[in-house]
Order: sequence, then structure tokens, then C-alpha cells
Amino acid sequence: MKLKKSIFKIVFLISLLGFPVLGRLSAQPVPGKDENIPFLVTFGKEGKTSWGDDDFYQIFFFSILKDYTKPVYIRVFDPDCGGEWDEIQGEFNTKTKFSVYGGKGVDPEKNEESRGLLKGIGVNYKSGNLLASKIFGNDAKYDNKYYTFGPFNPSEGDFNARWNSYMFKIVCEGISGDDGNLYKYYLSSDPDNNVPIEGANAFTYAYHFRMWNDFKSVAHIYPYIDTGIVYIKQKNFDWDDDGSILVVSRYKQGIPVPISNEDNWVNSNIPIEPPEVGSSLDFQFHKRQDDLVKNNNVVIELENQRGDALKFFSSPIGGVPIYQPKLGYEKVKPKK
Amino acid sequence: MPLISAQVISQQPSVYSVKRMPFNLNGFNNISPVIVQDGIIFCSDRRFSGIEDRTGFDGRRLYNIYIAEKKDTSGFRKPRVVKSDRSNKFNNGPLCFAPDKKTVYFTSEVETGKIAENRNFKNHSGIFIGELSGNDLVSIRPFKYNDPKFDVGQPSISKDGKYLFFASDMPGGQGGSDLYSCEFIKGDWSAPVNLGTRVNSPESENYPYMHPSGKLYFTSNRPGGIGNLDVYFTSLVNGTWEEPNLMSEPINSKADDFAFVAEDNLQKGYFSSNRGNEDDIYQFVSNIIRKASCDTLQENSYCYRFFEENAIKYDSMPFRYEWKFGDGNKAIGPLVEHCFDGPGTYMVQLDVVNLVTKEVTYNEKSETVIVTEIEQPYISAPDSIGTNQKIKLSADKTNLPGWNISQYYWNFGDETIGIGKDIEKSYLKPGTYNIQLIVSAAPEPGGSAREACISKNITVFRQP
Repeated sequence: MKLKKSIFKIVFLISLLGFPVLGRLSAQPVPGKDENIPFLVTFGKEGKTSWGDDDFYQIFFFSILKDYTKPVYIRVFDPDCGGEWDEIQGEFNTKTKFSVYGGKGVDPEKNEESRGLLKGIGVNYKSGNLLASKIFGNDAKYDNKYYTFGPFNPSEGDFNARWNSYMFKIVCEGISGDDGNLYKYYLSSDPDNNVPIEGANAFTYAYHFRMWNDFKSVAHIYPYIDTGIVYIKQKNFDWDDDGSILVVSRYKQGIPVPISNEDNWVNSNIPIEPPEVGSSLDFQFHKRQDDLVKNNNVVIELENQRGDALKFFSSPIGGVPIYQPKLGYEKVKPKK
Repeated sequence: MPLISAQVISQQPSVYSVKRMPFNLNGFNNISPVIVQDGIIFCSDRRFSGIEDRTGFDGRRLYNIYIAEKKDTSGFRKPRVVKSDRSNKFNNGPLCFAPDKKTVYFTSEVETGKIAENRNFKNHSGIFIGELSGNDLVSIRPFKYNDPKFDVGQPSISKDGKYLFFASDMPGGQGGSDLYSCEFIKGDWSAPVNLGTRVNSPESENYPYMHPSGKLYFTSNRPGGIGNLDVYFTSLVNGTWEEPNLMSEPINSKADDFAFVAEDNLQKGYFSSNRGNEDDIYQFVSNIIRKASCDTLQENSYCYRFFEENAIKYDSMPFRYEWKFGDGNKAIGPLVEHCFDGPGTYMVQLDVVNLVTKEVTYNEKSETVIVTEIEQPYISAPDSIGTNQKIKLSADKTNLPGWNISQYYWNFGDETIGIGKDIEKSYLKPGTYNIQLIVSAAPEPGGSAREACISKNITVFRQP
């Protein structure tokens, strides 16, 4: 009896220590609900980087717990580039290709190229088995509507033992034109409705998104601080000097980081305290309060002190970090 | 409520009780005690045995060294003589021991040749060094600064063995006999140095005794004493001997009082006096209570440093921290200091303004701060005063909750005491004095009594 209890304890501990806590998550909208980001954005490859997209593609990963065996769907909201939401440059002439990959080569922890951060000839961020793809132009049929990829058997993904999950990858490429395609994803168990999948999550390594067009809304991203991180390096692109970025955690009330201007990168380091490891940071994007910057598209990436990229989870691991103020006091000698 | 009413005592002379030692022998002189582990060593001109006096060449009875061993905590055995090859012809003593407790420095006559046997020859004293072996002083050799033309004697060696003090009427002194010191350097005693005009007067100074505490006791017949020879003490502070202090009565009397020695804690000791029929050795016991362990007074502080622990790690946070201290006062910053007016319970509140969003988080964090006074007896007294300046000392701020205080006892550090919650005091001499306030509680029903001690230094400067 005692032996059984011990085995149970060990299994339980391994499940806690070995895998980041994904099991309770069930939100797969991308951007996530807590992120409060209006849209992802990818420009046609003839666009200018100063419009807010440095490389004209965006990669997201979906993780589905091994125990989930039913079909899954990846739904894309407003996949076309035209009509409502999207950013026109002259006239809509952009074609955007969405491709879903599974199988070996997808898992970004095993295959660094899959993350999409490495640049250069021969680098293949489209690794894995192509499960489905579709090119969208200026097509009212898909304007302000969902297009659904799937069904996919979860086991078609690339298994990651650390996360105990199958990984899928969706790549969005602006294959022609110069307009900005604004879109969202939803991982669903239903082809026609957004139905969350227990234990699933989504993440990226380079976030290309649209800032809000109002003063008050605050967007967030939630990078996960993995074991061994002592500081992180943030790199942001084309922020157009639009407000402030504050980094918040249980131990940081709001560290300001420098922001970029038109068509440039700015980076800085942020120290990580030991208690912050194993939780998420909250990068808050506050809009400039004097002149409203409209249709601002930005990119942000993070890496640790070793240069390894950090994941941004759509649903923050460990929940949204809330700053915990710590008031201290001590007796001192009166000043004479 | 205290059981005794406050009273004011400025000086309390009877802080010592004295008694004549039982090993004194009537009809003979007994002087210059030395405290050793087994008892008291002293000098006496008593007979060795029988009825015949041993006299010197001048016809006077010879002094020799005797040991009175302790029989128990209060009694002594019959003194036994310590002999040397000088015992039959010359005076032996006063004396002292080196730190090894075997080497003896003692006083005797310098000239031992034929000339010394002349009745009218003035034989001057010198210091001799020997080893105590049982009842014998052996391996005797003279001190290098002895001189047949003047007296050198009454040695005393400091606890660390580095300094030898003695009395001498050598030329170049202040008058009469003066006190000198030699330093032990590289295995030898340096040339004697006169202790200067603070210690040495135009009259005579004798019987130096360097106590382990660093106080130098000596005897002088200078004006200003109680009468004839009196005992004084001084200390070397920053290379200068302080103005000597006169020991109070009844150690000093109108008679000759001299050759003072004391145990390490100064609570008990011995001296010589002719207040009776002849020179005898007396014991003194201090009635002064002085605690070996006594906490130093801590000043009450109602000042605090408040900080937002995470905020102070980063110096560029776009937040304004506004503190409300619960007493109507405010301060701004991640780290602030505030002094409350006094003890009490204060609700300290932190409001935070986000300078980016302009949002204000009222009462983001609050803390109840209980400001108390330190639980201790309390001495209210100035840090420094002038000589002869009358000051008021008070124990009124004593904070010992639950104590039924029955007595406030003051030890002023100058061999005077006082009793009462409020006291007046003045110091005659400049220096630094360590005041002890000992507070006693009335015995509780179980019989236990509590006592607490606190100390504070007061500097007394010379006031014209």
C-alpha cells in the first residue's frame, strides 16, 4: 500500500516538474484573450518593412496534449487581404498563403530552423509535413469570416515529450503584393465553431501584430521564463515611438524598455529574478497618449542570455502575472 | 509605584567599609600588602621569632617579607617569613610580582659593603629582583637603575609586564619622592621616565600600584588630602595622566593611609594605615554596586525607513510611490524615511501612481507599524558637562512593563552612588565616567526579584 502511494507521488511530481503546466489551459484564440491584441499581421512581400513587418511571414505553433485524440481544426479569421480589417496600400493586390505543417521537423525545440528566426539561404522554416495550405487574395468570400483547415488527427503533429504534446505549425506568408493582411487563428475541436480544446495552447517566437487604434487599450504578450534564464534580451521593431512597453511580473511593477521608431530595431536586457523562473512575464504595450498612432504594426522577439529565443504563449503559463507589492521597513537612527 | 520615594543624593562618602586584618601584630608595623592566590604577602618589622629584635646597622628594626596564607574565606594562618641572604642585615620590601608570579621585585638597601655597617651611614634603597622558591628569595640581582646616592623602591609591574612603576627621589623630580616608570623593551628595562606634574607634586609620591584596570594608585602627602598620607588614583588617557582623584573615606583618613592594592573588580582590597597605634594592614570592601555586565543605553528611535522592496531594485520605474504614515505626514519615493512623534500604532499606506497610464492605485499595500520604546532602564542625562556643574539625572523614562520597581540605584563611575528616580550630581574632575543605573523590582509572590542595569558614558570637561 505504501509502495503504491510512493509511486503515485513520484508520478505526480514528475508530472509537475517535468512538464510546464499546460494541462488546465483551454484557450486557443490567437492572439489570446489576455493578450488583448486586435490582429496578427503579415504584409505582402513587396511591402516596406517600415510598415511594420520585418520579414513578411509569421509562424505560430499549436500544442495539443497527447491525451486528446479527437480531430482538431485550425480556423483562420479574415484570411483574405481586402475588405474589412486589412491594411490597403494603394489597392488590394496581395496574396497570402497559409500552410499547416505536422510531423517530424515541426517541433521548434528540436529543430531551431522551424522557429522562423534564422535568416539566410538554405534556412527552411517550412519544415515538417505539409498537411494543408491555401492561398488567399482579395476575396469577399473570406472577408471577416473564418476559413477552417482540418480535420487533423492530433497524432499527425510532432510529439514533444517535455510538453507531452503534439505540435502543429501554421505559416502565414505574404507571397505577393504589398498590403497588410490582418487575421486571427483559433484552434478548435469543431470545424464551424470556436470550441476550445482542453490542454492546448499556442505560441510563437516572433510576434507580428497590430496595435490598437485607441489610447486606452493595452496589449500584452506573455513570454515564458524557462529554467536557467538570468536575463532576457528584448528586440522590438518599427514601434513608431508609440507609447511605452512595461515589463510586469509578480516581482516587477513595471520595468520600462526602450522602444523602436520607424523601421528600426531596438533592444535591451531585462534581469530575471530566480522566483520569476517557471512563470510568465507580462509585456504591456501602452499607447502614446498625445497623438494617436493609427494602424501601427509591430514586431517583438525575445531571447535569453544564451541567445535562445523565448516563446510567447497565447495563454500565459502560470496565468497572467500580477505584481505583488512588498512593503518593508526598518528602524533607523534619527538624523541629527 | 516605587516603594521608595525619590531622593536626591549628590555624593555618598561611605561607600567602603574597612577592617583591620587579623595578621597584623600589635606593637609592630605591617605595611604594603600584595594580593596573591594563597593569601596576602606583606612587610613587617616584627621579630622572626623569640624576643630579640633584628635591627639594621642604624639600630632600627628591619622590615621583612611575610606570607599570610588564607585558612578559609575569612581567616588567615600565622604569617611565615620569606627569607633571603639579606634578611638578617637589610630591609626587605615593599615588593611586587612579575606576571610569571615567581619573579619578585622588592626594595632593599643598595650598599652591602663594610661602609653600610657604619651607624651614621645613609644607605639608600634600591630595587632587587629575585625568585620566590618556597619560603626563600633566591637568585637576587640588583635593578640596573639603583644608585647609592638616592632611593629607588616600592616597585609595581603592570599586568602585561611591560611597565615597571616605582618611587624615587632621584634628581630632576618635582620634589620629595616622585613616581617613575620604565618600559620593558627587548628584554631590558628602559631608562626611568618621571610621570610628570599631574601625578608628581612638590611633595612626595610613593607606593605606586598599577591595577589591572589601568588605574594607577599611589600615595601622596600633597595638600588637598584628608590628612597626612592619602591614597590617590589616576589613569593614562591618550598618553596623558589624568588629574589624580582622592580616594574617599574611610580608606583615607586623617592618619597616614598608603600602599593601596585591590582585586581585579575593585570590590575588595587592602591598604596600610597608622590610624591605630602603628602601621597596620586594613581590608576595604566596596559597598558600591557595580555590575560587570551592564547593557549600554540605547536611545529610543521613532524613525523608520520605508521601502517598496521590488521598486528599490530598479531606478527607472515609471511609478510614483506616495506614502501616508498614519500620523498625517506623507512622503514620496520608493525609499523614504519618517520619524514618528512617539510610540503608537500607525497604519502606513502606500499609494502608487503609474506615470505611464496616470492610474493611481490607492492603498496598494498597507502595514501596521507598532512603534514602541525599548524595554530598558533609561538614563536621562547630558552627554557632556563641565566640572563642578550640577546636573539632573532621571530614570523617569525607564520602560520596563510589568515591573514593580522598588529601587533606582546609580553608580556614577567616580566611586560615588545615589539612590532615587531623580538625582542631582556634579563631577569634580574631568574625564569620562561610566554611569550605571541599576533598577530593582520588588520581590514577586514567588520570591523572585528582577534587576536590570543600563550604562551611559558622560564626559566631564574642565570648566574654568
